[in-house]
Amino acid sequence: MKSLIKEFTKGIIKENPTFVLVLGLCPTLAVSVSVANGIGMGIAATFVLLGSSIIVSLVRDFIPDKIRIPCYIVIIATFVTIAELCMKAYSPALDRSLGIYVPLIVVNCIVLGRAEAFACKNNLASAFWDGLGMGVGFTLALILISAIREFLGSGQILGHTLFKGFEPVFVFGMPSGALLVIGLLLGFFNLLKNRKI
Amino acid sequence: MKEMFRYGFILALICIIAAGLLSGANTLTRAKIAAQALAEEQSALKEVMPEAAKFAEVKPGQEILYYKALDSQDNLIGFVFKASGKGYSSVIETLAGMFPDGKISAIKVVSLNETPGLGMRVTENSFTRQFNKEDALSLSGVQAITGATISSKAVMNSVIKKAQETKELIKNEK
Repeated sequence: MKSLIKEFTKGIIKENPTFVLVLGLCPTLAVSVSVANGIGMGIAATFVLLGSSIIVSLVRDFIPDKIRIPCYIVIIATFVTIAELCMKAYSPALDRSLGIYVPLIVVNCIVLGRAEAFACKNNLASAFWDGLGMGVGFTLALILISAIREFLGSGQILGHTLFKGFEPVFVFGMPSGALLVIGLLLGFFNLLKNRKI
Repeated sequence: MKEMFRYGFILALICIIAAGLLSGANTLTRAKIAAQALAEEQSALKEVMPEAAKFAEVKPGQEILYYKALDSQDNLIGFVFKASGKGYSSVIETLAGMFPDGKISAIKVVSLNETPGLGMRVTENSFTRQFNKEDALSLSGVQAITGATISSKAVMNSVIKKAQETKELIKNEK
């Protein structure tokens, strides 16, 4: 049981997909303009990660090594399409603001990376907690980045204006602002890591 | 050789299962997605012609040519059409309401993918507001946004062009 908790928590801080593994930065840069986007993207990616990790772990003995990548891609693409259909049906506004980045979860390297590096070598329980942990870690990273960007770029959090008279810094709403924020956060996390040792 | 068939078979099996799951998901969500699209369309129509109580599609063939805006007594009070034109980096689609006298009631840019901070500003109220009460065939009182001339012109020219076409169609109908 203890090791399962470890599989879950490692994705949040020690092996955080965004800040430590530095995977899947393209959607992170693109959708982190607002906290609502970040949460939506995080939940969709977590669903896909969880689903694909479970299935890949279940069929790991059945899939021959040589064709594992196409098999994983089919499994991942299935989950992504289901997530996309659900989003279109129940949250069209979110679907519109995330746009092309939902179908692009298929090629998000976090998802394929976890299938390839973890789920295909571990049993169901470990894969489940690993997928969930990674998903939660990705979601939290997205929320952190998008909160900083939304606040600095438009003076709002979740669409609510926090201070009156705050002049938004336009660049944080642009891709260049995303690179800036992610770079500084990566540096900050590295600093924390080096301090500990 | 034997291996090849085995791999092909396994991959095919996975694809068949995936296809089954997807068709299931599609069946479950299809009605809901269509309903969402319809609700969205109605609210967009309402935005460009707030005076209307309901809208009737004019659809002789596959495509919707324009909408008739009707008030609560089913009197015709105007028309709504969708114009599209090539902007700077995307096709800009604009929904526009037009009164029978040829004046625009309001417009709404419904789909575009222009430069953030420049071309994207054609969706802003300060730009679209200028169209209200303008003559649909000239739009002489509409100023393009500084730094976003191509996007602004795309909206204006597509509205003018579509307004001409719609006027022709209306004439034929009467």
